Formats: sequence, structure tokens, C-alpha cells
Amino acid sequence: MKKKKSFFNRFYVVLCLAFFYLPILVTMIFSFNSSKSLTRFSGFSLRWYSELLNNVEVVKAVYVSVSIAIIATIVSTVLGTITAIGLSRNRKVVRELILNVNEIPILNPEIVTAIGLMLLFSSIGMRKGYITMLLAHITFCTPYVITSVYPKVRSLDPNLANAAMDLGATPYQALVKIVVPMIKEGIFAGALLAFTMSFDDFVISYFVTGNGTKNISIVVYNMTKRINPTINALSTIVILVIIVVLVAANIVPDMMKKRGFSGTTRKEKAVVLVLVVVLLAGLIQCGSVSRQQKVLKVYNAGEYIDLSLLEQFEEEYNCTVIYETFESNEMMYTKLSSGESYDVLVPSDYMIERLIKEEYLQHLDWDMIPNSENLMEEVMDQSYDPGNRYSCPYFWGTVGILYDKTVVDPEDLEDGWELLRNPKYKGKIYMYDSERDSFMIALKALGYSMNTTDENEIQEAYEWLISQRDTMDPIYAGDDVIDNMISGNKAIAVVYSGDASYIISENEDMDYFTPQQGTNVWYDAMLITKDCNEVDLAHDFINFMLREDCALANTEEVGYTSPVQSAFDEMKEGTYEGVSSYIPEIDNPKNEIFAYQTPKIKQKYAELWTKVKAQ
Amino acid sequence: MKNKLIELKELTKNFDDQQVLKGIDLDIYENEFLTLLGPSGCGKTTTLRILAGFDEPSSGQVLFNGIEISKIPPYKREINTVFQKYALFPHLNVEDNIAFGLNLKKQDKSMISQKVDRMLKMVGLEGFGKRDVALLSGGQQQRVAIARALVNEPKVLLLDEPLGALDAKIRKQMQVELKKIQREVGITFVYVTHDQEEALSMSDTVVVMNNGEIQQIGSPTDIYNEPENRFVANFIGESNIIEGHMIRDFLVEFDGYQFECVDKGFPENEEIEVVLRPEDLDIVEPDQAKITGIVRNITFKGVHYEIMIETEKRTYMVQTTDYAEPGRRVGLTFGPEDVHVMWKMGVY
Amino acid sequence: MKQFRHLIKPYAIWAAVMIVIPIILIALYAFTEEGNSVLTFAFTFENFKKFAEATYVNVILKSFRLGILTTLICLGLGYPLAFIISRFEEKTQNTLILMVTIPMWINLLLRTYAWMNILADNGIINQILGSLGLGQLSMMYTDFSVIIGLICNFMPFMIIPIHTSLSKMDKSLIEAAYDLGADPVQTFWKVTWPLSIPGVLNGIMMVFLLSVSTFVIPKLLGGGQYMLIGNLIESQFISVGDWNFGSAISLILMVIILISMGLMKKIDKQEDKE
Repeated sequence: MKKKKSFFNRFYVVLCLAFFYLPILVTMIFSFNSSKSLTRFSGFSLRWYSELLNNVEVVKAVYVSVSIAIIATIVSTVLGTITAIGLSRNRKVVRELILNVNEIPILNPEIVTAIGLMLLFSSIGMRKGYITMLLAHITFCTPYVITSVYPKVRSLDPNLANAAMDLGATPYQALVKIVVPMIKEGIFAGALLAFTMSFDDFVISYFVTGNGTKNISIVVYNMTKRINPTINALSTIVILVIIVVLVAANIVPDMMKKRGFSGTTRKEKAVVLVLVVVLLAGLIQCGSVSRQQKVLKVYNAGEYIDLSLLEQFEEEYNCTVIYETFESNEMMYTKLSSGESYDVLVPSDYMIERLIKEEYLQHLDWDMIPNSENLMEEVMDQSYDPGNRYSCPYFWGTVGILYDKTVVDPEDLEDGWELLRNPKYKGKIYMYDSERDSFMIALKALGYSMNTTDENEIQEAYEWLISQRDTMDPIYAGDDVIDNMISGNKAIAVVYSGDASYIISENEDMDYFTPQQGTNVWYDAMLITKDCNEVDLAHDFINFMLREDCALANTEEVGYTSPVQSAFDEMKEGTYEGVSSYIPEIDNPKNEIFAYQTPKIKQKYAELWTKVKAQ
Repeated sequence: MKNKLIELKELTKNFDDQQVLKGIDLDIYENEFLTLLGPSGCGKTTTLRILAGFDEPSSGQVLFNGIEISKIPPYKREINTVFQKYALFPHLNVEDNIAFGLNLKKQDKSMISQKVDRMLKMVGLEGFGKRDVALLSGGQQQRVAIARALVNEPKVLLLDEPLGALDAKIRKQMQVELKKIQREVGITFVYVTHDQEEALSMSDTVVVMNNGEIQQIGSPTDIYNEPENRFVANFIGESNIIEGHMIRDFLVEFDGYQFECVDKGFPENEEIEVVLRPEDLDIVEPDQAKITGIVRNITFKGVHYEIMIETEKRTYMVQTTDYAEPGRRVGLTFGPEDVHVMWKMGVY
Repeated sequence: MKQFRHLIKPYAIWAAVMIVIPIILIALYAFTEEGNSVLTFAFTFENFKKFAEATYVNVILKSFRLGILTTLICLGLGYPLAFIISRFEEKTQNTLILMVTIPMWINLLLRTYAWMNILADNGIINQILGSLGLGQLSMMYTDFSVIIGLICNFMPFMIIPIHTSLSKMDKSLIEAAYDLGADPVQTFWKVTWPLSIPGVLNGIMMVFLLSVSTFVIPKLLGGGQYMLIGNLIESQFISVGDWNFGSAISLILMVIILISMGLMKKIDKQEDKE
């Protein structure tokens, strides 16, 4: 009886731990996969580890995460400890007040804390980046230190500090020699907690960072689009480091006890000092970005460039590029309007129209962009910027339907967008989680213009989307569609042509078409902002991106259609031969380009879209 | 008379709205063993903390060798303290605890270890230097605490109920030892306790306190034999306290009889109170005494019996080695020197 | 000691600037309209009125339902685990608790991605099922996948406080209960459980708090249609750009959470007294 029970207990413990470790194990295993797939193991390789070392973005993010975690831990531990000690000596009213305020960041949902801090930083006009992230981390770490140190201080005999002072110690000496050693368990626990919280934080960092400062979580989040095992390699290393640190933390104190522990030795102090110096040096190096060099701040969509081009540009023009990415045009606009400044932006057509209207941009000097002669004519002089006074095309394409040839009946394709309401494919559809694209689909399916401002038409489109939602159970996915479709998780997905090209190149079962009811033809273009500090360099950058070799490298890496004729031709006949999505079908007269929307209409769409999703 | 070392003048202390010291005036002399005695909450510990420098007085002065020190922090005073629960540093061993103050003064290492050894010897803990303080017995911890304070060679040692946590037998032993140590080092001890027996057996001077005020200052015998008021009489030993009035010098009346006494200086017919110590009363045959009563209760107390005798007006407590059968009628006698007359104080 | 009293000053200032002012700013935005500037004061309840619409009320209800469900499952699975762990000898206990803690130090996003790969239609589980000749299960983008993600990430926050209160418990209490004739089940309900309530409450608070306000896990495992209050706030700030409405939702969420946590704490204190 007893044995049976103990077996059951053990089994349960193992089961629970297995549940916790399963995702970690999967992460580790696939870091050694020789192919890109995260679901099918095709052979052992260390390829992702070497790619990791060459991935500047990831290496920088590791540095940011680690250095912020260390500094935030040190500062919050010191701040929290002295506060906890001070608290026990204060009147009850003061104590209760501080303790209650201190609870707020712990109890408050992370996202609310994040938003509060973001509002704070932007309303005092603080430049978002490393410093704001660090301040935010200290803010949410310190409460944890206080809550773990304070009980220890309270349980301390108050006479101990008195005794030390009675014996001739100054208050500072009493603190360092008596109080701190007595509560060191609490301090250590607090510091550990602070480090964990800081190192792992995503939500708060995501809202308060800027100017290209990213920690590991943010990089991982931005990687959704083309997730690859590099990040698994990184997390495998992180796991190993954690295990080593833990083992060390558990063994070292025992060893110290055996040696006859006698406070911090000089050696330990030296080690700590060296550590701090190294950190600070690294920080300064990271922050100053070698002052004599020119700096160009580029803001582009995520996973939308061949990153090695940036390095090449930096080298050729002896400058530093701060490269930041956004998830959506709206996010870019939010950042821009909250006071962030950039030199070069790469948004989409309708957003360009808005930026022109709201006077965020300056005219391009086409004389400084000699490579513009490489551009194909089809992409120029579009409705969003007639005469290309502000914008220089970067990529272009359409929105269409990606489908699994092995599942979807070719005849059904003739329904165009209505394919998305064909009950045959219930539960097999990915929609794109964007109000613009979804309403475009509904409006086109209904035969309206996607730039309509007619409330009735919008209402009809809303009903179309609701009926689709109710009958088809679609998934409103973000960029994870790409991975999912490569793995063949569903049969149909609404995607951008560039993503389609990439997916088709990875999974031959897939094909792409643009419905005959017309679709969105879009152009993403490079712009120079009004408050650009490096106008010449910004033009050089645009010119560089139009250079034939660069354009080719870029389109090859990303999969989107290049506006540069030679690159376009080469891809059409080379890598993407036969991939229909690479050649945007623009001759359909029903196709449209998104136009600027008034805030009222935009708000309307946003609200309706929230309702479609949340119902 | 010896030199005055410390003078407390008009000392008051308020915590929030509560006044815990209501004007303390006290002189402390060199080489004196002075005890602050009183029930909990009487202000004795606060007085000690002000002396040590942990609290600042709300008003009044603390003079040390004639110099005002009430604003000087504890670590700059030539005063050390033995704390109630010892406050030994649990992360340091015996030796390091004792050497703590010396290490702070950055004294020579060999000098420190010499001094520490001498202290260990003095408190009878030779060979305990490397021990963990948490593993010592209460009495041993007490000794370490004393050694830790004395090694700094203070002018004054403050002791805050240092024996409170020890059991009866060790406490007796430590009392003797403390007195011995005080004589050996020849410095002033200021001792706080609520145990009157401890106070009487060790002190040169006893200061009885209550409600933030000093009730009486005097030698142990004075305090015991000539309590100045009902509170002191009650607090120090067992007493029979009887209301009466002074007829004239050396003659007092209570319980309806007149008695000779040794007190004088009271106004005639002044309402007073008389203290009769139970051990000063003798039990005699009823016809040999003015006051008579019936034995109600007798308890054996080891050395003596405690007998409750009910008289016409009240019940007297008598401590005597003689046995008296309950129910028997007896007489109570006492000599003039046993009658202690005090001012009547309505407050207590 | 009065010498240390001033030590709270730096943090008092810090907390005022970094904790109190941001909350005031959120409130300010919540009660104003249009534009991202605080300077255009125009007090309004519009943002709150908008929130009263059925869609948004549903979002908050869904969030709370999910939060409560996750909390209950974590309690149901976590309590037995904490209980079993607390019965092992101390060294094993420490090791096991450490093992429960380690996953918390590995990036939440990474673990969530791993779940995506495990649960996807062509993911690891379905591949295994397929190779066994069994049919496919559609697990991604459902309540199931979201709850799996939430439990895996947040259950340690339930286990650790419960284990702490169980391991602190005097073992002789259990012996005393047996001695007085209670069987193991009675002992559990009459002695162990009441004594572990502070830990349970703590765990409930942590898990509920985390799961009700999360936005990353539902977004990744539930898809865009999995709209919880966290996602709603995020989208208002990041993509819709209506900071005022976003602030109003944040304020509502904050008030609800702080009130419910306050109630929890009160219960906790009452338990303490009894």
C-alpha cells in the first residue's frame, strides 16, 4: 500500500516536471537541427550556433539583456536593502505608505506598469533606449528586493545595530558589518529575484525601449516572422549557463563554509571591482557608438532586410547604422508621433500619404540617388506620392491567397476571395490579423472599393467578416503564418506576395493567386524625415539600397519583389522561377492602392476589427 | 564623596503623545554600582537608552564629566552596554564578537588578541574563543556580552536587565560575579532591573522609578528600611501598610492604638502611612500585645513561615520561624525602630 | 535607530516619480480625449463609455474567466505537487523546488514558441500521432493551447508559495492529529490544508494576476481572435494608436486588480488572526 503510494507520488512529480521541461527540451533539441524546421528533426548540426555568433543583432541583445540585468540587480538590491532597513525605523504611517506604494508594481498587471512608464518617459521627453529600459527595470525589480529583505530586517533584534554602535561602530559601519551580514539571505534572494525578473522581462522592455536598444525577449518577439533555430541555440546556451550558475551557487557557499568563511576577502572584492569596470567600459562603448562616426537611424518593418547589407553600408560609408524594426505601419506611426526621431523610414503607401500630409517628410534630392535609373517604371509615380517627390520604392507586391495545392480544388479558386467563405475549408484558414487587409478582402469580395468611406459598405464588409468568422473558424494570425504555412499546418492563408514567395520556396505544395475581384497592390518605400540629421548619408543609404548587387541580395534574402529591374529579372529567372507570387499581377483594373484614411474612418475600422476578433 | 561622573538634569522623553520620562534628576558617581529599579514601563530602560545614546531626550541635559552629551551619537561615547538579550552578533564567533569594538578602532592585532584573552579569562570563558555564539548557554552568552562591552574599557557600563533571561540558580551566581567584576575593573555600572532582590544585593545606590519619575534614591538599606512612600514600600519587599496619623515626633497612632517610633519632623496630627515589614513582626500571646487577631492561614516558605493574621481592622502578614496554628488567637508586637512612617501619597 | 531612518528617502523619491506619477499619467490620459499630448486638457468620460460596449465587456469577462480557470487548474495540479514535494527529505525538496524554478528563468517567449511547435497541426505531437497511425488533433489556436501555455508558464508561481507554507509547518502537528485519532484524509482537511492557506492565497494571487493580464501567450498560442484585456490594451497603444482609450482600459484593469488583491489580502490577514 505504502509503496504503491510512493510510486504514484514519484510518478506525479516526474510528470509535472516533464510538462515544465518539455518546451525547453524541444527548444534544445531543435537547436541542433540541420534544417530550418522546428518540427521535423533532420540531422545533427552546429550550424545555428555559428550563425548565432555571426548574428550581430542577437549578440547585441544578449549584451543588453545581461548588462541591464546586472546593473538593475545591483542598483535595486542596494536601493531595496537600504529602504527595507530604513523602513523598520520609521513610524507606522510612513512605513505603511511606502510598503503600499511598493506593492503597486508587484500587483499591477505588467502591461499597466509598462504603459505608465512609457507615458512618463514620453511626457518628460526622455530619449527612449538603454537608459529608459534600465530605469524601468530598476523600478520593477526594487519592490521584489524590498519584499524579500524587509521581513528579515523585521525579525532582526533591533539591539544588534545598537550594540554595534555602542561598541564604537558608526551607523555606516554598523550597517555594513552587522545588519547586512545578518540579512544577507534575504538580500541574496531579492537579488536573485530581481535578476530573473529583469533578464526575462518582455512586456515592460517592449514598451519603454527605443533607438535600437533590444533585449533578448524583444529580438525573439520580432523574430516571429522567420523564426529559425538561431534563437534555440541562444536559449540552449542560456539554459546551460543557468544550470552552471545554479550548481555553482549551491556548491560554492558550502565550500566557503568549509574554508572557514570570513567575510568578503580581498580577492572577491577585486573580482567584483573588475566586473563592474568591464561592464561600465562595455556600456560606454555601446552607448557612445564612436562619436566621430556619423549615425544613421533607419526604421523598417521587421525581417525586411538582408542585415549584412547594413554592415556593408557601415563599412563603405564609415558610419554607424542604428536599425530598428516595427510590426506594423501603425506602430511606426505611434512611435513617430510620440516623439521618436529617425532619419530613414520604410513604411507602406497609405502611411506615406499620411506622413506627407502631416509634414513628417522632406523632399528627396534625386540627383543624389544616381542608382535610381535602375528602378523599373511600373513602380514609379503612384497615387500615394505622385512624382515621387518624397519616396523611393523599396519593395512592392500584392495581397493574395496562399493555398495548399494538395488540398484545395483548383476550381474553387475561381471564387476568388469567396474561397475564404467556402465551407469545404472550414477550420483550415489563416486570416491576417490586420484591419486594413481584412476589410480590403471583405470590400473586394463585395465588389466595393477598398478605400470606401461609405458607412453602409463598411457595415456590409463588417458583416461579411463576422459571417466568415462564424462559419469558417479562421485563425487571425500574425507573422507566424509564414512558419505555419511552411509546416503546412493549414490549407489556406491570406499573405503578402513576398511572404508567399518565401513560403513557396520552402514548401513546394503551396501556390499563390490574386483573386479576380481585385486586391491591394502595395508599395513600401524609403523616406527621409524632416528632422533628419544626416541628409547626405540618408540619400547615400537609399542610393546604396538601389545598387544592383545590393537590391539582388536584399530580394534574395527577404523574398519580396524588388523594384530594381535587374534584380527583378534575375530573381524571376533564377531563384523564384515559376513562383507566381514574385511577379505582382498588376494589370487587373480592379486592383487598388490603399489611400490615406481620416482618423475617424481609421478609428471606425479599428473598432470594428476589434469587435470581429473579440465578438 | 566621590566625583560626579554623570548628571541627568530635568530629563524628559515623549514618544508620540506619551510622556515616558517626566523630569529625571540623577547624579551618578565614579566607581558606583547604581541600579534603576522599577516595574516595566517605569522609564528605566528609556533612561538607560538616553545614557547610551540610542534615544535623544525631549528636553533636559545629560552631562558627562560636566559636558553635555545628549546629542553625541552612541559610537562616540565612552559608555558601553550589555543588552537585555545580549545582542551578540550571530555571524561572528565568540572571539570576533569580543574583538568587534577593538577591530573598529583598528588596534594592533596582537594587542587585540591579548585583550580578548584577558577578557575571556576574566569572565571565565577561557578556550571558548572560536565557539559559535549561538551554541553557547544563556549564562555563557551573558559573559560574552559583558566581555564584549568591557574590553573597550568604557568609563561606564550600562546593563539592561542582563540576567532576565537566565534561570534562578545561574542568576544568583552571575549576581555575585557581576559585583566581583565591577570591583575588579573599578568603573561605574548602571544596572536596570525590575527584580528588587537583585537591586538590593548588588547595588551601592538604588534608584526606584515609577511612571517616569524617580520615587527614591538611596542605599539598599535606606530603600528597604525607610521607604519614602507607599509605592516604594510595596515594590521593595512585602509590607503591611497601615494608614494612621502622627501625634507628635516619635509617637504615631494607627489601628486605634498609639505606638512609639523613631520618626520625627512630621506636622502634628498629619495623616501618614506606616510600614511594618512582615519579618519585623513577632507573634506573642494575646495578652502581651496591643494588636491581637486570629491566625487564618500559614504557609511554609522554606526558611520561615508566612502567617496571615486577621485583626479587627485588617489582615497582617507576618514572617517568622515560629509555627502558629490556624484558628489560634495571637498578639502582634514590634519595636519602635520597626515602625516606618511615610508621607501619605494619594496617587499610588 | 533614528540614524537609519533617512535611508528610505531615495526610494521614496524614486517611487513617487516612477510608480505614482505614471499612474497619475494613466488616469490623466484616461479622462482626456484625442491627441497624444497631456496638455490638451479636456476632461471626458467618453473612453469609459466606449468601454461599456458589449464587445469590450466581453473581452474583460473572457479575460477573467480564463484567469480564474488557469488559477484553478494551477491550484488543482500544483497543490498535490507541492504537497508531495514537501514530504520528501529536505535535500530532495530543495532540488525539486529548484527544478520547478529553473524553467522560470528561461525566456517565456521561447517556451511559448516551443509550445507552438509542439501543438501545431503539423507539430511534434501530431507527427507522433501520425506515425502511430492515429488521426490529427487540432490543438493550436484554442482555449486548450492558451491554457497549456499559461499553466506551463505560471504554475511554478502556485507551487512555490504553497510549498513554502507546507514545509514551514511543524511536522509534529500532523503526528498530533494522528495521535488524536484523525485518519490521513481528516488530518489533511483539518490540519494541513488550513495551515497552508496563506501559501495558497499567495499562489492564487500570483497566478491570477499574471494570467489575467498577459498578452503574449494568448497572442501566440490563441491567434488574433484570442482577444484578452492585455491584447486590447496592447493594440490600443501599438497599432490603433488610441492612447486615451488604452489608458482607460488600463485604469479599469488596474482598479479591478488592486481591489481584488486588497480583498485577498484582507482574507489572508483574517486567516492569520484565527
